[in-house]
Amino acid sequence: MPGWRVKLLPWALIAPTAVFALAMTVLPLVYSVLTSLQEFPLGRAPVFVGLQNYQNLLHDANFGRSLATTLIFTIVATAVEFVLGLALALLLKEEFAFQGIIRSSLIIPMVIAPVVVGIIWRLLYNADVGLFSFAVQALTGRSFSVLSSTTMALPALIVVDIWEWTPFMFLILLAGIQSLPLEPFEAARVDGASPWNIFVHLTLPMLKPVIVVALLIRALDAFTVFDQVFVLTQGGPGTATEVATLMIYKTAFRFSQFGYGASMAIALLALVLSFSAAVTRAFKGSV
Amino acid sequence: MIRRQFLKKSLGAMTAATAAYSLSGCGTKQDSSRRNQITFGSYADPALDILKEVILPEFEHATGIRTEWVEADFSGWFQKALNDGQTKAGAFDIYVMDDLWVPRFAGAGYLANLDELGFQTDQDFVPSALDLGYWPPKTGLRQPGIDRKARSVLYSLPLISDCQLFFYRNDIYKNGAPSSWDDVLQMARQHSDPSRRQYGWVTRGVKGNPIMNSFFVLLHDFGGDIFGENWKVVFNSPQAVDALEFYLNLLRYAPPGVAEFDSDQEGATLLQGNAFAATIWTGWCPQTDDPTKSRVVGKINFDVPPKKVNRVAKLGLFMAGIAASAPHKTEALEFLKWFSSPSSQLRFARAGGTPFRTSAFKDEEARKKSRWLDAILRALTLGVPSPRTSDWSKVEDILGTELNKALLERGNAKKHLDAGAAEATGFLKSAGYPVG
Repeated sequence: MPGWRVKLLPWALIAPTAVFALAMTVLPLVYSVLTSLQEFPLGRAPVFVGLQNYQNLLHDANFGRSLATTLIFTIVATAVEFVLGLALALLLKEEFAFQGIIRSSLIIPMVIAPVVVGIIWRLLYNADVGLFSFAVQALTGRSFSVLSSTTMALPALIVVDIWEWTPFMFLILLAGIQSLPLEPFEAARVDGASPWNIFVHLTLPMLKPVIVVALLIRALDAFTVFDQVFVLTQGGPGTATEVATLMIYKTAFRFSQFGYGASMAIALLALVLSFSAAVTRAFKGSV
Repeated sequence: MIRRQFLKKSLGAMTAATAAYSLSGCGTKQDSSRRNQITFGSYADPALDILKEVILPEFEHATGIRTEWVEADFSGWFQKALNDGQTKAGAFDIYVMDDLWVPRFAGAGYLANLDELGFQTDQDFVPSALDLGYWPPKTGLRQPGIDRKARSVLYSLPLISDCQLFFYRNDIYKNGAPSSWDDVLQMARQHSDPSRRQYGWVTRGVKGNPIMNSFFVLLHDFGGDIFGENWKVVFNSPQAVDALEFYLNLLRYAPPGVAEFDSDQEGATLLQGNAFAATIWTGWCPQTDDPTKSRVVGKINFDVPPKKVNRVAKLGLFMAGIAASAPHKTEALEFLKWFSSPSSQLRFARAGGTPFRTSAFKDEEARKKSRWLDAILRALTLGVPSPRTSDWSKVEDILGTELNKALLERGNAKKHLDAGAAEATGFLKSAGYPVG
């Protein structure tokens, strides 16, 4: 084979993948950035407005509030899912009877479509016939509507996310725990280390790379939560559960402010990337 | 046979098979092109069932034009239609739209001009229903950027004459429909019994469009409005505050959790016999007399919402427009002409549909089949549509969020209406409205 063909072969082999990746990720992103620099007046051609949409964004209190709601949702949901997932993984890491059935049933919430999850929980939270309202009424004698409460609606959404995604944390952390070498643990036990010391000084440090990846994946996903909010609360009551993705959706598709909606999406993307970079930097060397 | 030869022959055979299939496909298309198929895009709604199940087969039989009905949920279809209009993809011939989409679709050039296509209207069309198909609007305010003297053009036609009626239980309201809102409040006060799950009023409380639709009638009945002259926001006027305070008073007699009620829970509460008054879209009328869906068959009557200062009904019609990029405009126009003809409208009404021709509304047989037709016709004549601007959704969202907050707090009507007015004014200014 001539020398130039040998040199070209690797490029030729990766070209289809590179073109595909470019078409599916980079081009839409570039298009979104261009869209965010335009306005779309009714019945007229788009107008280039430079950074005007981003300037407006800086003064948009509603968008700021939706970002704060998203941040609270992400931090609380991811943290609780991590703690519960880790506890479950530690509990179920050993061999035991019916472990296949138990582990399989634990991951059921994760495989249900998010919209269906939303519908299931909408019924559970229903003020008239829902399980929670029934329990509160039985205990206190007063009717209570979870999703109509400005203080309870966001926690209620977080509970749904925890129910759905704790199994994901559990699966990743269980795989991580089972892949740890046995020798250090045996040596620690021989040396008389307590289970708590083993967990704090061996399991957690050795599991750190897996934990970081799991937290990162879940946090990035939680940042873009949409389906459950859309089905359960539509961002209400008031603006209590209006997360950033819902606001972007409404701005772009309901209000037809495509440019402004795109600028919101780019801002959210920048926030997510910064968050991901900060986490990666904080755990540099572990990942 | 060596591997290379096998591959070559296989490839040749596949190419030949593909070519043959494609050619046979072309042949089929040529045969059917004499009467093309028209594709409807729509949101799913039970109010469309008669059109789909009775009228479209009749149309196919009468004209030889086949029809395809593609539907999605309300938001999903809105996005699809918007994409189709923007990209001029031509995936649909007829868009089924909520009437408040017309300003956006017509204004952006996504709809074909029906006047230019040769569609003729006549005096028998219910005027308030037909007016919703024009852009720019025939009366009232005009959006910035639109010439005040520009001629109104017909871009879409009514498909289902939907509006909000006052539904009330005739075994509670024994003297007939209430004449005023004060009567409604009084009846609610007298007959509500939460221990037996009997409520004097039910409404939609979800933020945005649902609660806005519930409040809209009261706002106008109390003498308020959304916009004044030059798009000045006036939904925080003293009349509007009175209307919201009255609405909050009525909520004392509504089921718990009404803040998360949308149309489905509102209708279900009424049909289950748990509430005895509501302003609901007419799409729910047939279900009230259906024993498989209603526990109060024959016990619900219908009227135009009662009066305070004015007496109005909220319009919310299903509209049909031909896509500007429609591949089969001729056939689509033929459908609109056929469906809007007096005879088709009569058959539609007699089958249980809600027509848009006055003559069909007045047909005795149709009225016997659908006892609510008289109330709908009266409501249409008193009807008020959503403001005719493509930015209405944003204003509706702002006001709808503040109304939801007032509902949750069961008070602070003025504070929330003022907050909504300030935000809406800011938005309208940024969008180029003169605002005042």
